Amino acid sequence: MRRLVRSESYARARLVTATLFAVFGAVIIVRTLLKVGPVAAAVPAYILGLALLALAVVRFRDYRASRRAP
Amino acid sequence: MAASVGPKTATQSPSLRRSVTPWGSFSWGYSDVGADIFVGLGLVLGAAAGASNVAFLFAGLVYVCIGLAYTELAAAYPVAGGGQYFVFRGLGDIFGFIAGWAVLLDFTIDIVLFAWSCIDYLSKLVPILSFTVHPWVHFLVVFGVIGGLALLNVIGVRESSAFNELVSGLDVVSETAILFFGFLFAFSPELLVHTMQTAWPTPFALMNGVSLAIISFVGLESIAQAAQETQRPASVIPRTSVSLILTILIFALSYSNLALGMHPWHPLPLDKDGHVQALWHYLGNEENNGAAVAVLSSYVPYWGALAATYVPILGAILLLISSNSGVFGSSRIAYAMSGTQLLPSVFRQVHPRFRTPVVSIVSFCGVALVELIFAALPSLWPGLKSTYSELFRGEDGITFLGDLYAFGAAASYSFVFLAVIALRLNDSASPRKFKMPFNIPFTYKGNRVEFPVVAVIGFFGIVSILTFTMITHLIGRIAGPSWIILGIIGYLVYRKSRGLPVFRSQPHDWRKAQVNILQDAGELELMDEYLANIKAMDERKAARASAG
Repeated sequence: MRRLVRSESYARARLVTATLFAVFGAVIIVRTLLKVGPVAAAVPAYILGLALLALAVVRFRDYRASRRAP
Repeated sequence: MAASVGPKTATQSPSLRRSVTPWGSFSWGYSDVGADIFVGLGLVLGAAAGASNVAFLFAGLVYVCIGLAYTELAAAYPVAGGGQYFVFRGLGDIFGFIAGWAVLLDFTIDIVLFAWSCIDYLSKLVPILSFTVHPWVHFLVVFGVIGGLALLNVIGVRESSAFNELVSGLDVVSETAILFFGFLFAFSPELLVHTMQTAWPTPFALMNGVSLAIISFVGLESIAQAAQETQRPASVIPRTSVSLILTILIFALSYSNLALGMHPWHPLPLDKDGHVQALWHYLGNEENNGAAVAVLSSYVPYWGALAATYVPILGAILLLISSNSGVFGSSRIAYAMSGTQLLPSVFRQVHPRFRTPVVSIVSFCGVALVELIFAALPSLWPGLKSTYSELFRGEDGITFLGDLYAFGAAASYSFVFLAVIALRLNDSASPRKFKMPFNIPFTYKGNRVEFPVVAVIGFFGIVSILTFTMITHLIGRIAGPSWIILGIIGYLVYRKSRGLPVFRSQPHDWRKAQVNILQDAGELELMDEYLANIKAMDERKAARASAG
């Protein structure tokens, strides 16, 4: 497990999941915006989308940090 | 992952091997906090109905503040005591005791609640284990699980780090897949808004929901526990914790939004009156509220058919790990509190052969079994139902456990926020590689310090949740404070009988302690920075004294 976590393929897998989370977050925000618009009841859905985008950013940063590490 | 306590003598404890990787640190936290949504979802849907996502959002934002506080403290003080240690160090002995005692209540509830829910999940595959149909079988199996976990902990057997990592990895993939299929093929924003507008609860029910939602975010002690065993914790812990906090928050928000706004892939059974029912209502009823994630996942398009076969097992394993962490955590905290003379020395007694804190394990598993009996009693003897209904507004067993869990967590987290503020003011010399955002710099006792605004916001948030728990849960209002008051009485009697300061703290050499902590953690650069900081502080103090 430890070897897997330190491998290049694991870092790439995290990059893929980061992209998935980013797409996922964007889809939720755009769909909610198109279907119901900016109403108060949709705030939890928008926040969910933003949280997914934030997780994607954290993962992208982790990936970049792991690439820089010796 | 963790060694047994005291290989040589009853009073000596070995340092824990620092072998946890960043992924290990994440999965350790995930296996503890990630299991909470398996319990919390059904309870919150049952209480907050169409505002369940709002309840999770409010509790989730408070949890982000708590998570940031734990991350800062665990990176600055990488020791296993967690909240109890931070409060002990920041606010002194008596508050350290109260926080630790509240955490102990939480750990005992954790043991029962997660063992209970573990069997609920298994009952989706093995119907004889169903609590609503066969309460005695369910009760005896949960009783046996708790007894078994106590025995394994006395012998010193723990799940391995690799096993934790594997289960956590599988669960993250599984939950992501469920949410992916659910949101892409069955989620409807219009249905979400419609449900929220038509099934919006009363303010009382919403407060009830918020107080139960916090149980989906309990278990941050594991961040501190992982810090004790992680290499270079000051660098690793902030990275893994932020990722963990976001992942847990996303899963909680996703499941609650999906439950309110998803069209089930196949028809739901009719309710007991023969009416069509909404998905959120079906998930929150007494039959399903203990295993809501498994039921929800079975109604997800495409993936649901597969999920129905494995999610109950995966959920049950994760919940069992979480229940075991309650047994392990309670015994370790009681052992540590006994070492600092906050609890009697009997809790530090180790088994002569297995070198494990046997008295602590047996005592707190015993408390957990009493809680189990109290929670299960009205279902085991239906004659008692009317008495419970009269006295406790008819709360069912698992809700009672949820109440107490929320009370213990909210009480201990409140003190942790105060500890963050106190330590920022009184221990500005300790290097913090991670700081909560939004700080106000000013000079305090001649030193530059930063006041944490997020800690204040989090404190008011968690106090409001504590208030909601007290307002909405009759049992929580009585049993929670009773636990704290009885503990304080016991503490005062113990300290007086031992001739120790009762309300004041014993003298502690925190500087020496901090140097040892950083040295043990391998954070030698931070140790040098700390020594330079305290030297500069002493020089400033001496200059002020000579000027005055």
